[in-house]
Amino acid sequence: MTATPEQQADILERLKNGVVEYDEEAVVSAANEALERDMDAYKAVMDGLAAGMDVVGKYFASGEYFVPEVLMCADALYGGLNILRPHIKLDPDKMVKGSVVIGTVEGDIHDIGKNLVKMMFEVAGFTVHDLGRDVPLDNFVEKYMETDSDIICMSAMMTTTMIGMPVVIEKVRAKNPRAKIMIGGAPINEDIAHKWGADGTGKDAPNALQEALNMIGVLRDLGDQFKTERKTKEWGEDGILAPS
Amino acid sequence: MPDTPKDAVLKVLRGQKADHVPNFSGMGSITLTGIQELGYRFNEIHVDGRKMAEAAASTYRLFGVESAVVPFDMGVVAESLGATVKYYEKADLGQIIYPTMTRKIIDRAAVAAPGGLSEADAKTYTMKEVERQITEYQFKKPADIAKTGRIPVVLEALRRLKRELGDKVAIGSWTLGPFTELGQVMDLEILLKMAAKKPDVVTRHLQFMVEYLTDVINLYVEAGADFITVREMGATASILSPRMFKSLVLPNLQALFGRITSVPTVLHICGDTNPIIEMMAQSGANALSIDQMNRLPESRAKLPNVVLLGNYKAFGEPFCEGTPEQVEALIKQSIEAGADAVWPGCDIWPQVPVENMHAMMGAMKKYGLNSQ
Repeated sequence: MTATPEQQADILERLKNGVVEYDEEAVVSAANEALERDMDAYKAVMDGLAAGMDVVGKYFASGEYFVPEVLMCADALYGGLNILRPHIKLDPDKMVKGSVVIGTVEGDIHDIGKNLVKMMFEVAGFTVHDLGRDVPLDNFVEKYMETDSDIICMSAMMTTTMIGMPVVIEKVRAKNPRAKIMIGGAPINEDIAHKWGADGTGKDAPNALQEALNMIGVLRDLGDQFKTERKTKEWGEDGILAPS
Repeated sequence: MPDTPKDAVLKVLRGQKADHVPNFSGMGSITLTGIQELGYRFNEIHVDGRKMAEAAASTYRLFGVESAVVPFDMGVVAESLGATVKYYEKADLGQIIYPTMTRKIIDRAAVAAPGGLSEADAKTYTMKEVERQITEYQFKKPADIAKTGRIPVVLEALRRLKRELGDKVAIGSWTLGPFTELGQVMDLEILLKMAAKKPDVVTRHLQFMVEYLTDVINLYVEAGADFITVREMGATASILSPRMFKSLVLPNLQALFGRITSVPTVLHICGDTNPIIEMMAQSGANALSIDQMNRLPESRAKLPNVVLLGNYKAFGEPFCEGTPEQVEALIKQSIEAGADAVWPGCDIWPQVPVENMHAMMGAMKKYGLNSQ
């Protein structure tokens, strides 16, 4: 039973609104209907669920939503994602092939922001290696090398724990000067990211969540980059990335 | 006779004018310089009352900051209630990692989903189970709080500070606020959602926290604390809506401050406090502490008669990574913005350079003297 364009638009709207209104049941039922009606699961995720989270990001930025609401929206999104994800067809032109190492730095157990960033990567189709919280600094570097990942994301909620980030950045850069490194967390802003040599953080982020939410757009762009044929990096014998 | 640091701090906290604007903090203010001069490793100063006291005193002795404050980490109360804290004994010398809660009392890492579930179903199971545990949990006070966990370490440090510096500087101690402390001992993500969905459960736990924190604070005061800071940063408007702050957080802060009657109190909230600063002023605390995200001149205008402590950024640039001239400008800015005392927005980064500490205290002499 294929959906008409109107029915498709209706399902996408219900996915989106279900996320925005943190109505997990509505999202689950719309996601099931999308499958029953042979809709493209990837489209349902990106134009339904992710589009909803985009609105949530705007509500968060404008002070309409706060962290509890965003967390409930994320639950609703996962409710739909768990149904749709197994049905995303592995079309090489549509799939992101990137892989990410993510974690909260040593001494910090705050992982809400990290988990939301992780969710965004999962929505965009990345393979996510989640190191969890209170992650010893060397583990970021080791996992990055071991999984041959494209991006390292580090999170710190407290001013007292962010100090470890430049240490990791330096170690990763010594291995691969072109590694993509993103840092986030309440005390992190663009100036700090720039100073420490990270590639990105949320613009003007009042806290970690805004940053995660802001990443939707960034990830859509990144997704395009990673859709091209991905080459395995060639590590030199000294463990340093060979120049391309 | 000029005001001693202690006189100045206590006058300001009571809403009186001292002969100078004091520079002090109610939060961690240790420096790596001070700790290294004492010959201690960072991890030692959290578990030994003498070393804790010496580390706290070093910031006054070396630089003249007008308070000595213990403890330094956020795990003391959570640990006394049963959470597990890690101390990073093996960290490199000079590496700063504060003690951290590695296992909360109710922690999703301790909930194993039955085998055979998909990753998504296992996660759903765990979340539901954690929510059930939070709903059913009954907190119990330890039989003898003064002898539980590291509370005796903090008490010993306070007694030593009182004995050795008590006539010179203000001795400070602090706890987290009821809401923030609850987030230290229970899964924070689920707690935040329950704050929206099941406020009655969260309120029941918050009321316990008010009782328990009152007991802990009373012990700190008996041991020598001249003033108490309550850090409720988990309820910042960067996280919770002002509406939820009003319904869930403020009543418990009022209950807590209503019970601390023998010493002046400070309510500290960092992050965005602009929408809640007026509610903070209704908490019953003697003074409010905010960080650099608060628009201090606006808050000063809204609350002309409230004691405001703030609000220099205590990490990164310029305080820890800028020049002494930049630090002087930073401190001058706090004074000019109308702060009643120059006070950091957070624990100061222990790596702060010696010359920047001196520049800060020099700026106090230049801009912080009040004509009598």
